[in-house]
Amino acid sequence: MPFGSEIDHIHSPLIKMESVIQMIRIENISKDLGEFKLDDATLQIDEGEYFIILGPTGAGKTILIETIAGIYRPDGGRVFLNGADVTNILPKDRQISMVYQDYMLFPHLTVAGNVGFGLRQKKVGRSEIKAKVDEIADLLGVSHLLRRYPGTLSGGEKQRIAIARAVVTEPKVLLLDEPLSALDSRTTERLRAELARIHKLTGTTTIHVTHSFEEAFALGDRIAVMCGGRIIQVGTPDEVFRRPNSKFIADFVGVENLFRGSSVVHDDISEVRIDDISVVSSTVKSGDVSVSIRPEDILISKREIETSARNSFSGEITEVKDMGGIVRVVVDVGIPFVVALTKRSYEDMELAPGTRVCIVFKASATHVF
Amino acid sequence: MLNSKFGILTVSIALLLAIFILSLIACILTHTSPHILLTSIASQEIGFAIKLSLFTSAISTLLCIAVSIPASYSLARYNFFGKTLLSTILDLPLALPPLVAGVGLLLLFGTTSFGAWLSDFGLKFVFTPLGIIIAQFAVNISFMLRIMRSTFEGISPRYENVAQTLGCTPMQAFLQTTLPMSKNGLMAGGIITWSKGIGEFGAALMVAGATRMKTETLPISLYLNMSCGDLDLAMAAAVILIIISFVSLYIFERRGGVTRLY
Repeated sequence: MPFGSEIDHIHSPLIKMESVIQMIRIENISKDLGEFKLDDATLQIDEGEYFIILGPTGAGKTILIETIAGIYRPDGGRVFLNGADVTNILPKDRQISMVYQDYMLFPHLTVAGNVGFGLRQKKVGRSEIKAKVDEIADLLGVSHLLRRYPGTLSGGEKQRIAIARAVVTEPKVLLLDEPLSALDSRTTERLRAELARIHKLTGTTTIHVTHSFEEAFALGDRIAVMCGGRIIQVGTPDEVFRRPNSKFIADFVGVENLFRGSSVVHDDISEVRIDDISVVSSTVKSGDVSVSIRPEDILISKREIETSARNSFSGEITEVKDMGGIVRVVVDVGIPFVVALTKRSYEDMELAPGTRVCIVFKASATHVF
Repeated sequence: MLNSKFGILTVSIALLLAIFILSLIACILTHTSPHILLTSIASQEIGFAIKLSLFTSAISTLLCIAVSIPASYSLARYNFFGKTLLSTILDLPLALPPLVAGVGLLLLFGTTSFGAWLSDFGLKFVFTPLGIIIAQFAVNISFMLRIMRSTFEGISPRYENVAQTLGCTPMQAFLQTTLPMSKNGLMAGGIITWSKGIGEFGAALMVAGATRMKTETLPISLYLNMSCGDLDLAMAAAVILIIISFVSLYIFERRGGVTRLY
């Protein structure tokens, strides 16, 4: 064993014998670009992970991934790729690809020229480039566009091509900077599914920057929340959304009753299986989905309620949060639901932790995405 | 639209200005006849002037392009200490009268040890065609720098970032993305620099002098022949200069947009 790596083990108690390979590690990265900055950021991302960086505009998310890509040399700190220190290595030698929100397709090249750009730099043979470009274009459904120039394409088409250009070189890490933010909502949804599919197919470690909690929740294996150039929480979507470690995250994320499940559609309604319960929604979407229900849309009662609402569950109150005029009650019906009610009705109903209650909400109040 | 006295006044002034400009050109064109013009153009002296003008302006334009691309790129992309001062100095030739720039060049190449050193290598600028080239370069480089800087500033650095992640060195990324995307700016800048180079008189006169059949470019030829009263040759030189200006202005306008700089 080389001397250097031995030292590494002594000084890095974080590295344990694990089967998962650590693809990216950044240690105490700082970078000041005046308008935007990065302040002592530390992160570890495993091989094959779909990692989300979530934060409001100006949080320093883009600088963070541009520093990982090597566009900027950090003022302080180190970047490791697959265990090797790449802090002072040029972007071209990192095998990290990048996709920007505004596509950045080269306007003077055809779509095929754009997609094959990286392969040409690596001096891949002409016929092999063509074969690979065709294959990836097929995967992303842009084969019919290969001879066109980017200027004439729609936003969704451009972004598919930008993704194709980034993944055709088979990078170790794929960086996506707000890849869905410039698109309309239907295209966003379709492309989001596409990103999940590509990730499943290629298994490429992916870092996806976004300000949309929906994207973060739907796609992320883990999420880092950033604000003011700092990383303030890292965890699974469940951890970050259910147990935000600061008021900022709670306010920013701003959603409760957020679940992931699998949906089956019949008779124009979706039935979503979440752990042991099933929730019915009038939003039609099948497959792996996310579900959210606003706390104020849920009715609570001590007795069984006769209602036309499709979703009715019974469980026990596990937690009560008094927010002034409003009380938030957590009811465990197999999964935890947060229910909002006025303080007055909370007192009238004589609720308390441990009380068995019934909760009811309409299929139309169940947002599936 | 045009219903107020003020509106009519402004349009009238614009029209008068157009008449003024057209009459200047008309006077030159009508001062000669096609026959005399063609004979003059075919003369050895005007032939020499055309060739020397085309040659010197082509070389000085290529020099301007070669120097302005990296220099303007640095100003467009990087922040460094003293950038504002540097940028101001590089803009100076815009404000400097060409005659003054010419005197400076004459002194630099004619009286300093630097000039003597260059002269030892065979690079003689004083009273030679080489002096015309350096004079055109000195006067025009700032225009080219401005056009290229604003062109580069209009292109997002992210194109180069993407190219770098796809396997380019910073220079390869520039050569394969930003540079080809600057095609219009380069064309427009090149044309205006070339056209100004052809018309350059003051600075060239100072450094290279006005020697018949040696440093005689079209404007110098116009000047020499006017001084000694050979109007036919002078008008021939003037007409050729007018044609070159029109053609370059036309191409420049078609390449679009960059005229806003002036």
